[in-house]
Amino acid sequence: MSQTITIDPVTRLEGHGKITIQLNGQGEVEDAHFHVTQVRGFEKFAEGRPFYEMPSLMARICGICPVSHLIASAKACEAIMSIRIPHTAAQLRRMLNLAQMVQSHALSFFYLASPDLLLGMESDPAQRHIFGVVAAKPELGRAGIALRRFGQHIIELLGKKRIHPGWVVPGGVTEPLEPAKRDEILAMIPEAYANIGLALGAYKQIAESFRAEANLFANFPSLFLGLINEDESVEFTDGALRLIDSHGAIVEDGITAARFTEIIGEAVEPYSYTKFAYYKPLGYPQGSYRVGPLARLNIAKTMGTPRADKELAEFKQLSSGPVWSSFHYHHARLIDILYGIEKIEQILTDPLILDKHVRATAGVNRLEGAGQAEAPRGTLMHNYKVDENGLITWANLVIATGQNNNAMNQGVLQAARAYVKDGKFTEGALNRVEAVIRTFDPCLSCSTHAFGQMPLVLTLLNADGEQVDQVIR
Amino acid sequence: MTQTTARCLILTCGNTLRSDDGIGPWLAEWAEEKFIHDARVRIISRQQWTPDLAEDIASSESVLFVDCSVESAPGSMGIVGVEPAAASQGLATHHVGAPELLALARDLYDSLPATAMLLTIGAGSTELGEEFSEPVLDAIPQACALLERSVVDWLREQDQRRQPAILNE
Repeated sequence: MSQTITIDPVTRLEGHGKITIQLNGQGEVEDAHFHVTQVRGFEKFAEGRPFYEMPSLMARICGICPVSHLIASAKACEAIMSIRIPHTAAQLRRMLNLAQMVQSHALSFFYLASPDLLLGMESDPAQRHIFGVVAAKPELGRAGIALRRFGQHIIELLGKKRIHPGWVVPGGVTEPLEPAKRDEILAMIPEAYANIGLALGAYKQIAESFRAEANLFANFPSLFLGLINEDESVEFTDGALRLIDSHGAIVEDGITAARFTEIIGEAVEPYSYTKFAYYKPLGYPQGSYRVGPLARLNIAKTMGTPRADKELAEFKQLSSGPVWSSFHYHHARLIDILYGIEKIEQILTDPLILDKHVRATAGVNRLEGAGQAEAPRGTLMHNYKVDENGLITWANLVIATGQNNNAMNQGVLQAARAYVKDGKFTEGALNRVEAVIRTFDPCLSCSTHAFGQMPLVLTLLNADGEQVDQVIR
Repeated sequence: MTQTTARCLILTCGNTLRSDDGIGPWLAEWAEEKFIHDARVRIISRQQWTPDLAEDIASSESVLFVDCSVESAPGSMGIVGVEPAAASQGLATHHVGAPELLALARDLYDSLPATAMLLTIGAGSTELGEEFSEPVLDAIPQACALLERSVVDWLREQDQRRQPAILNE
């Protein structure tokens, strides 16, 4: 008799999802799925709105990464306007996007993932949260909170709001940077370096004890997609996309937002509201790929900043080619943070950073536009069509979590096969299956453009689909 | 990031799009105007309280948490002392309560405000909307008075505690 285990909802994620694990008559794991269970429909209700409203409207999809939506959306609008934004506006947006990446990664690593890493996968779930981390390693708790504040404060200084700033608009940004704000951000940089240095040091020590998990957490070959500059350095806001295979060979390069949908398709599975992105020439699911910190570091030859480059060189020692295990998303995330701090410092020393010319204007010059950017958890693409009055007639968003969706499902299956024995799951096994998902730091609110809560349920079903066990927390 | 030390921190919480849940942010705006010339008072208004606020709390001499309460009678007022408390299982990472924030301030920064109180206003409705219910509208003058009195009393007590030290110098 087969059984199914359901984890619903999965905890310590951005949003609401569940996991089901199907067992066969021998109690072995036969299949596993990660379900995203809610839908919100932003693409639909955007229809009929003026295109210039789209950035602030689409940013409401998410409270963690609204800046990425602002930027991808504004870029799609600028494609409709057929304009190039001023240099200073591009630099200011880049800084805003990096600040968001730092705060989002700090949340993911310190608040969501570090309880597993610092306290152990088998530790008491009642203590396995940020307060447990604070009790065990207060210096890391302080570092995590400070890094999150660092990113949030920059967002607030630039956009006047910590969440959903309205500063990014089609054509650039609404206001230039004031010297006092530049100086305030620069003054925060040394402490940010100290905090990320502490975190990287601690992580490298901890990672040694998670070799088994590193082998079993979504560790398989796949394609990787991410933004990159012409000099092959990491990019979050401009540049073009590169797709590499599991051995590092370039499959596609120089993919602009306008070309994105030529090569990337989206499949639908009946068990999830999140779509499954794939590389069209290989079809679905063979063309599935991964995005986000791991993909970015696998693709880039350099970070483009000295401190992060040193860390990248060490990271690349993990494998002779692209790093396959999604466990290493955690490490890549910390290197992203270091890069973000360095890049923000570089941007602030740009001699034109205080320039007053930060916005270009135009009306509708094309009836379709697409924009792409790197959100903290991976590539984000917005594509709009408008009528001659600039009203939206069609919108499509391809979200990082959808692009990682197949890998997350494969990862859940891999971990479930390793940790669910004889049709039973222990607390540690349950947590490890969830922890695979956490490595990707999915944003389920973004991926379905849905509201989210964050609890977890795991259900065990027999071969006839009847529930035989369930854990809710 | 170094925080500005506040003699009195007013920390409000609520969503202005959920009717009476917006009373915290409303009182924050009122307090901003009331204490605009008093550098001893700092006001932070958030939709949710998050762990990063622990540093602001740790660097304050007194803190007044302000929130609506769905457990109290609509429009009723309550003000109680708050003690640090450990977090429970299933703690959300996006929202923590006043006792947990105090515990974080203590555990992370080894500092606690001398006084910590929670002012609650009973909610009549938390449905979507930007208007307050009648009971909460009626309670606003009393809530403002209670908030102001608390802050003024605390500042006076702090001044009195400082006085002997100044005299002894």
